[in-house]
Amino acid sequence: MPGMNSGLSPDDPTLVAAFRTALLHQGTIALIAVVFLWLVWATARTWRLTAPSATPSTRGAASEAEVTADTTEADAGKSERGGPGEARGRWLLRIGFGVLWILDGILQAQPKMAAGLPSLVIEPTAANSPAWVQHLVNWGGTIWSYHPIQAGAASVWIQVGIGAWLIVGGRGPWPRLAGAASVGWGLIVWVFGESFGGIFAPGLSWLTGAPGGVLFYVAAGALIALPEGAWRSPRLGRLVLAGSGIFFTGMAVLQAWPGRGFWQGTVHGRPGSLTGMVQSMVSTSQPRFLSALLARFSSFVAGHGFAVNLVVVIVLAVLGAIFLTGRPRLVRYAVWFGIAFCLADWVLVQDLGFLGGAGTDPNSMIPMALLFSAGYLALTPLPQESAGDTAGASWSQRLRAFRPRMLGGMVASASARSVAAVAAVAVIVLGAAPMASATANRSADPILALAIEGGSTSLDLPAPGFSLTNQDGRAVTLASLHGKVVLMTFLDPVCTTDCPIIAQEFKQTGELLGAKDKDVALVAIVANPTYRSAAFTQAFDRQEGLAGVPNWLYLTGSLSQLGAVWRQYGVSVQNLPAGAMSAHNDLAVVIDGSGNIREEVGADPGPGTMSTKSSFSVLLSQYARQALGRS
Amino acid sequence: MISGFSGWARAALALACAGLVAGCGSGSPRASGSGSRNGSVTPSASAVAVPLSTSLVTAQGTWAIAVMGGSAASANNFWQLFVRPAGTSQWSLATPPGVADNGGLVAAGTPASLVIGFRPSQNLAFSPLATSTDAGRNWTPGLLDADLGNESGALAVDPSGQALALLQDGTIQTAPTAGAAGAGQWSELTTRQALAASTPGRTCGLQALDAVSFGPDKTPMVAGSCERPGVAGVFTDTRGTWQSAGLALPAAYRGDRAQVLGLAATSGGNVALLLAGDSLLGAWSNGTHWSVSAPVAVGAVRASGFGTGGSMWLLLSGGHAETISGTGGSWQALPAVPAGTATLAPGPGGSYDALAVAGSKLTVWRLARGAWAQVQRINVPIEYGSSS
Repeated sequence: MPGMNSGLSPDDPTLVAAFRTALLHQGTIALIAVVFLWLVWATARTWRLTAPSATPSTRGAASEAEVTADTTEADAGKSERGGPGEARGRWLLRIGFGVLWILDGILQAQPKMAAGLPSLVIEPTAANSPAWVQHLVNWGGTIWSYHPIQAGAASVWIQVGIGAWLIVGGRGPWPRLAGAASVGWGLIVWVFGESFGGIFAPGLSWLTGAPGGVLFYVAAGALIALPEGAWRSPRLGRLVLAGSGIFFTGMAVLQAWPGRGFWQGTVHGRPGSLTGMVQSMVSTSQPRFLSALLARFSSFVAGHGFAVNLVVVIVLAVLGAIFLTGRPRLVRYAVWFGIAFCLADWVLVQDLGFLGGAGTDPNSMIPMALLFSAGYLALTPLPQESAGDTAGASWSQRLRAFRPRMLGGMVASASARSVAAVAAVAVIVLGAAPMASATANRSADPILALAIEGGSTSLDLPAPGFSLTNQDGRAVTLASLHGKVVLMTFLDPVCTTDCPIIAQEFKQTGELLGAKDKDVALVAIVANPTYRSAAFTQAFDRQEGLAGVPNWLYLTGSLSQLGAVWRQYGVSVQNLPAGAMSAHNDLAVVIDGSGNIREEVGADPGPGTMSTKSSFSVLLSQYARQALGRS
Repeated sequence: MISGFSGWARAALALACAGLVAGCGSGSPRASGSGSRNGSVTPSASAVAVPLSTSLVTAQGTWAIAVMGGSAASANNFWQLFVRPAGTSQWSLATPPGVADNGGLVAAGTPASLVIGFRPSQNLAFSPLATSTDAGRNWTPGLLDADLGNESGALAVDPSGQALALLQDGTIQTAPTAGAAGAGQWSELTTRQALAASTPGRTCGLQALDAVSFGPDKTPMVAGSCERPGVAGVFTDTRGTWQSAGLALPAAYRGDRAQVLGLAATSGGNVALLLAGDSLLGAWSNGTHWSVSAPVAVGAVRASGFGTGGSMWLLLSGGHAETISGTGGSWQALPAVPAGTATLAPGPGGSYDALAVAGSKLTVWRLARGAWAQVQRINVPIEYGSSS
């Protein structure tokens, strides 16, 4: 897929270090923000409790604030650890998915994630999906590959923030908002990270995580976002279980569908679908006992493929049928059995989901079990849940109470849960803001170019002069470019690999410089001892769309003239035998308006992907701007 | 139980959902397209690609082109040009330097020179040229600012230096002199569409163009494949008007579609290799009249080429090889060629050489007394990874 993959190694030390640094910086800021919020809250609370009296004008307002605060604190008190105030099913979803989001955030902080998510996770997932899915996913993946550090860090903090928000939420509006945030982020992950959970690709199976683990996060978030009154009656539980029943029945049919390779342990000596899946999991980096267990299970499936699939189909169908009945007694046993079955699949087929350094979540079984368990708990509410009040003050009441002059009183009277929820939201904003800012920039982050080149060398040396001929046959000397910043490189006009990419980077650099482009000369010098006439530089310019770029100069000369320039700039050029292209080192130099070399940059374009090309252009334009500032 | 839904209704809904999911998820993977750039020709109703592996003879010597190295997918396939200078029996590497040739090499010769065209590959979109007049010791660069066609007959030069190039898109360009060709001064002669719209093109139902050459009076000639059965698509440019070159298929092939796989100039005429139905035919022109050989059964054609005096050879699948000496000759099967044979070439004394490739090693086998004998090994210094 074009654009999605930067082509750089997920283990690239520059990118890993930058990712770690970004997480450390943002983590420190998050910590400071949390401490600050706590201090403000504690100070306001202390001030409010110790205030001797209030003036008549503020007293009425304080009373209004107390109404709200009392309501909030009462709610908070009731909902401590899912106490009598909060429905058990809702509490299970809130805490369970809060923990899962935090775990996902921590997994997202693995070193490979920033550079590797598109190539290790997104691309393989999308590979078998239809073209329109790949196109859509590629759009998201391209944004990631352009800004891997910001995207990686944003994913960490957004997920940790949503998880914390869910956990501390308790009752009232905060957890409902957290549920809505869970739906929004979950859908983004499901579409762009899981390619719609692979539902449009062949090989879909409940065993391996269909229809995508994050879709359960979305469903749970939607349930948490419901008004608390919805959890007071068994109706919600019936709906959740009916949905689960339909899902399980559908998955049973899918699993039983002939011709998909699940009924055979091996097909003509090759592993069947399930055997192949388990075998691929065996190769994941993991503790030895786990790989040994999987290897044994793989052998078992290979020998008893039909029986294993029959058991899976029957269990799924029976679970689906029982959930559809909505009968609490039956459902109770089905839930316990379903949990055990899900755990078995989680270990034996999904291999816990998060091992190997590139796992982004624990896959689908845990969230699925949480969801139908919550459905059962909602089906059988305890008496105090049914008798409980609604979610306290309405939104309109809360909005009426919110006035700027009331802010101090509201802060002082806010519950610890509310302060913690605000802190969680702050963590989300902290992660999302740099990514949003980066996304607004259509160019890639220069970190990619730095990762390829390992940094540039700052210099202040007189640039060796030259006298060559441009593509139009006119003489050009370095002196004739005095007053302009010169971005210079060495290109082979008949090169099949790097040189056209470097030329595109130079062209993009000119575009990025905008109005300052007129003060910059983009210069390439021929780096081929044989194919060096103006006919070739002109053909190269036409090929790369450079013929109309006014400040583009592709210079050539006699072999002795070129040889002198190559030597002076430390460029080695030689023809290789047996059909190989002419070899030369990729180099770019930045010469300021006074004729001094200010930067020397390795110009090897690396994988030459859209993101690395853009990254080099950004880096070169930054150097050009610095040199312009010195001129 | 959910109010308003019966158990049967729910079950039906569940099955419908499952069916929908199954329908969405069980599609077969898309078939991937495949080119046949380095592949072979097999009989087909439609036009087939012509292999680039070939050999030709000029006054300087005998030249052979074969692909060596590793896989094309990793850009480790490097096409090589070998030369056996006239009057010698040893081959040597003569690949022109300065351009990566992973896209393939196309050769055209005159008695005095050999022109090599580099087919574009990866990020290169035009075709550098190289000309040698000293049996490959020195090369002069040239330029075709376009995508040279993927056929061994895509380039032609005549002794005066006039050149023809068949492009990938079916356009034919011409350069009036060797100097103009070197400087990239080519102009359009015609296109496949224009030729197809001409009277002989319509008669043929021209599908694709496969080779260019010059007639005995230095007129440009073009050959291709015809949709209409029984018609051979060889055309000649007579003062700006394209006409049929007059090549008629024998009556036995009137119901078969024909494709010209190769076309070359000989002293006083032309020679062509035709695929008609399931048969391969040789055809020779003395400038006014064409004669056609008896057929030879087709396997997949892995390489083909022309020798002196209108002779031609075929390297077929399964180690089979056939040669024919020229007008009036008949196809002669050669002994099964050695493993790895990539191309054949006329050898010294009227024999044939088989050039066998294994990675970066070339082994030359010579046909002597009815058997292939190894006569030479060349280690080609391939720079693996230099094009990736």
